[in-house]
Amino acid sequence: MEAAEFLQYVIAGLKSGSIYALVALGFTVVYGSTGIINFAQGEFFMLGGVLTVWFYGLGLPVPIAGLAAVATTAALGILFERFALRKQRSAGPLVLVIITIGGSMVMKSLARHLFGPDELSLPEFTPGPSIDIAGAAVERQALWVWGLTIVAVVVLWWLYRKTRLGRAMRACSISHDAARLMGIDTARIVMVSFGIAAALGALAGFAVTPLTQTSWDAGAAIGVKGFAAAILGGLGNPVASVVGGLVLGLLESLSVAFISSTYKDAISLAVLLIVLFARPQGLFGSARREKV
Amino acid sequence: MIRTRLAFSPYVAIAIAAAAVAAVPVLSPDRYLLKVLVYVGVNVIVIAGLALLFGHAGQISMGHAAFVGIGAYTSAYCVGHVGLPWLVGALAGTALAAAGGLVLALPALRLRGHYLAMATLGFNEIMYVAFREARGITGGGDGLGGISYPEVAGLSIDSPVGVYLLVWGVALVVLLLVANILRSRPGRAMRALHATENGALACGIDTVGLKIRTFALSAGLAGLAGALYAHSVGFISPGTFGLDQSVIYVAIVVVGGAGSLAGPVLAAIALTLLPYADALIPGLGKDAVALLQDWEADIYGIAMIAVVILAPAGIGGLLTRLRIGRAGEAHV
Amino acid sequence: MRGTKVLAVVAAVLLALACLPVGGCSVDGAAEGGEGSEPYRIGAVLSLTGTYAGLGIPEKNAIELEVARINDAGGVGGRPIEVIYEDDATDAAKSQAAAVRLIDEEGVLAIIGASGTGQTMAMRADAERAGVPIISMAGGSVITDDFSEWVFQTPWPNRIVVPFVLDQMAAAGHTSIGLISDTGGYGVDGRDYVLAHAGEAGVTVVADETYNAGDTDMSSQLTKIRAAEPDAVLIWAAGKEAAIIARNARQLNMTQPLYGGSGIARAEFIDGAGEAAEGVRLGTGKILVPEAFGEGTESYEVATSFISRYEDAYGTKPDIFAGHAYDAIGLVADALGRIEGEVTSDSLRDALEKTSGWVGIDGTFTYSATDHNGLTQDEMVLYIIEGGTWRLDR
Repeated sequence: MEAAEFLQYVIAGLKSGSIYALVALGFTVVYGSTGIINFAQGEFFMLGGVLTVWFYGLGLPVPIAGLAAVATTAALGILFERFALRKQRSAGPLVLVIITIGGSMVMKSLARHLFGPDELSLPEFTPGPSIDIAGAAVERQALWVWGLTIVAVVVLWWLYRKTRLGRAMRACSISHDAARLMGIDTARIVMVSFGIAAALGALAGFAVTPLTQTSWDAGAAIGVKGFAAAILGGLGNPVASVVGGLVLGLLESLSVAFISSTYKDAISLAVLLIVLFARPQGLFGSARREKV
Repeated sequence: MIRTRLAFSPYVAIAIAAAAVAAVPVLSPDRYLLKVLVYVGVNVIVIAGLALLFGHAGQISMGHAAFVGIGAYTSAYCVGHVGLPWLVGALAGTALAAAGGLVLALPALRLRGHYLAMATLGFNEIMYVAFREARGITGGGDGLGGISYPEVAGLSIDSPVGVYLLVWGVALVVLLLVANILRSRPGRAMRALHATENGALACGIDTVGLKIRTFALSAGLAGLAGALYAHSVGFISPGTFGLDQSVIYVAIVVVGGAGSLAGPVLAAIALTLLPYADALIPGLGKDAVALLQDWEADIYGIAMIAVVILAPAGIGGLLTRLRIGRAGEAHV
Repeated sequence: MRGTKVLAVVAAVLLALACLPVGGCSVDGAAEGGEGSEPYRIGAVLSLTGTYAGLGIPEKNAIELEVARINDAGGVGGRPIEVIYEDDATDAAKSQAAAVRLIDEEGVLAIIGASGTGQTMAMRADAERAGVPIISMAGGSVITDDFSEWVFQTPWPNRIVVPFVLDQMAAAGHTSIGLISDTGGYGVDGRDYVLAHAGEAGVTVVADETYNAGDTDMSSQLTKIRAAEPDAVLIWAAGKEAAIIARNARQLNMTQPLYGGSGIARAEFIDGAGEAAEGVRLGTGKILVPEAFGEGTESYEVATSFISRYEDAYGTKPDIFAGHAYDAIGLVADALGRIEGEVTSDSLRDALEKTSGWVGIDGTFTYSATDHNGLTQDEMVLYIIEGGTWRLDR
């Protein structure tokens, strides 16, 4: 295999991988503040796409439509937390997970009622032929996907490390009770984390829709991939989620290159299982010992 | 344990349930109702096994639809291609699903919480690909049709009533079995395991062995349900055994109340019937039916959320509260 | 002790259930129109929700439109047609239960449906046992290859479309082709026929790649195909992923022409692929450009009349799925009109099988005791996408 061809596989893997990474980040942010897996994360991705198309259809330019979609989805995430989840916090994680499953069913079905059963399209942000990098072709939209991923990661890092809100979020991820004793409004932190997770999912949906189109049922498949990426990296660690997403994308792409496209999902999941069996806490997760 | 409670033995209960099951076809020979109740019976078997695993061994499985699939395809293949009697096929399906559960449980039970969820979910996806690609056995994505009816002692059970009675007969036996396990010493050990694993260990309970055996049993019950499904419906395709179905199973158990058996079984009945409610409610106009069908997924999701919000301990929790209210005694 | 109470509860629920729907439950038996005469009751099992909602909704539109037209014109032999709709939510178990309900409780003469191949196959056993004909709107070859005297089909299966497209590719001088197909029913069925007929058509499949529904990027598969240096690429896919393939191919600077079949004969493909759709060729039926039927022919009149009525009613052009449904209800009405004597499911099946030269949207149907699809390669035409729409190629 030529170097250029190999590079092409790597680029394809990184392109899917950065989408997985954004969705995985959403899982990780919610997990960090609540300890639960949000099964509606894939639907946030879907909403980002279909809402952008809707706003664009109203006549807004693409970037504004995208911003509006991300903001609307974030608001929906916050409302979902505030009205469906908050009061149930004491009921334990399983109940919360079930609410997110029910919520994802409703969001998906509502999207079909509102936006129809067919695929929806969005023009590329900067149309034009692909860019040549060492003999490999890179789509312009892929550069946008990477750029937005990097921006999201940097903003998230800044938020976590440099702001009071971020410190509070990190405190929450260590211990809710301790955080509350320190005077942190944990309920607000959880709400904010849902907003951030929804925004991250929506951003991914917005960035990728020009490449893939979107539809009311686009969330489920990407939700599974994002969850797998978050677990592969190790839950609760944003950097690990990004790496997990990129590794998953590369695994799939290289499975196509060297083994079989039919079995690429089975192969990447099998690798994930082997990793988990060898390192039950994921690639970068720290082994948490249960206190006796 | 209060002695009077034991007077209401499972044997009395099963007699009542059997009478109810037998009464349905007498009261209404409606084939559609029987067909839908067959789906309900199959799900009750899966849920009984999952509730055992979940509520009482504290293990989550997001891959039970795959075990149902293993049972369904194995049984269909054994009967259709190999020519074995149905009973042998169904047993083979059950055994293979249990063996699959064992193989998955050995490494997977080192994992906890969400990591275990991911491992079982990954297993489901991999099995889905296997069902789709092993076309010689499974018929691939278009599905496998023309699966023969169950046959016992050379007698084909091909009437809707017969199939219904078979599925529910098995379901009642399974419920009895699971209820018995929960009452037995291993059952109490399992609950100890759920409460605190270290505590159970300290009491000298072999928690690892218990978890693995429970997982295999639970997977085997799912396989049995699959074998019943394949032969009573006559058509199976990979879509029936996908991840979304596994998620629904887990949701049913939680809505029913983890830690209870009655709750999840009731939830299985209610949530399996829900998509067919439009046809089961008599006197519903055409437009109302169309509206219900269109909004079915929304109703399903909202119903799930409503139950867990109104009764965080699930339907089982509600039942317990009712009983406490009436008997004025603590529940063990 | 919790576990032991379960059985009593189960019993109670079952008892409650048993008391529910004793007997059937149809209320609105009275028909619309038709001077008080008893309507012909036809069932329709469609995927109005779930993955195939995009198929089921135009299908229902077309059926409603045609039933209204037939009934306004006095029905069939003075009796109106009444269609009872069921949504299978793209679920095989639900389509089967729906078929049983339509047969037992609604007493339908025939069932139109399902939208999907798997859902059609799931209904088959019960329809055969009850002796009720099914007219499927799904394109899977298995529906009529795996022959049943009770099952008919309106779309062109891959058995017809694939050899046509391969012949066209060979005629254009593309003797080595790269294939990319989806792992769902449509793609697998198509791939089987491509591999089986490639030799006959004189083409070699030099690359054979697949992808899954929901995948967001196919450039890995296309990179592999590109490395095999085929003359042309054949996309056998349905759904939004087909548009991604066209885009990816363009972005990888692949110069090979792209070909496809009925799966990409949708406006959504052109919308999704944008610029990359330009120059894509596809083989399918003639509804996309009715001039293909030949202006002035009966087929042309039928197609243009349906297209304009559909546009008036729903504001959009009918897609190929609407065409499949038009044919399904039209074939049933035609067969009903030809029955002499008592109209039963049996006589309807016999009349359907004797359909000869009925002009519909998907083509001119002639069913026989061995052919329940009734169409041939003559109904196929090759399109090229230019200026964001379909044009006849050459």
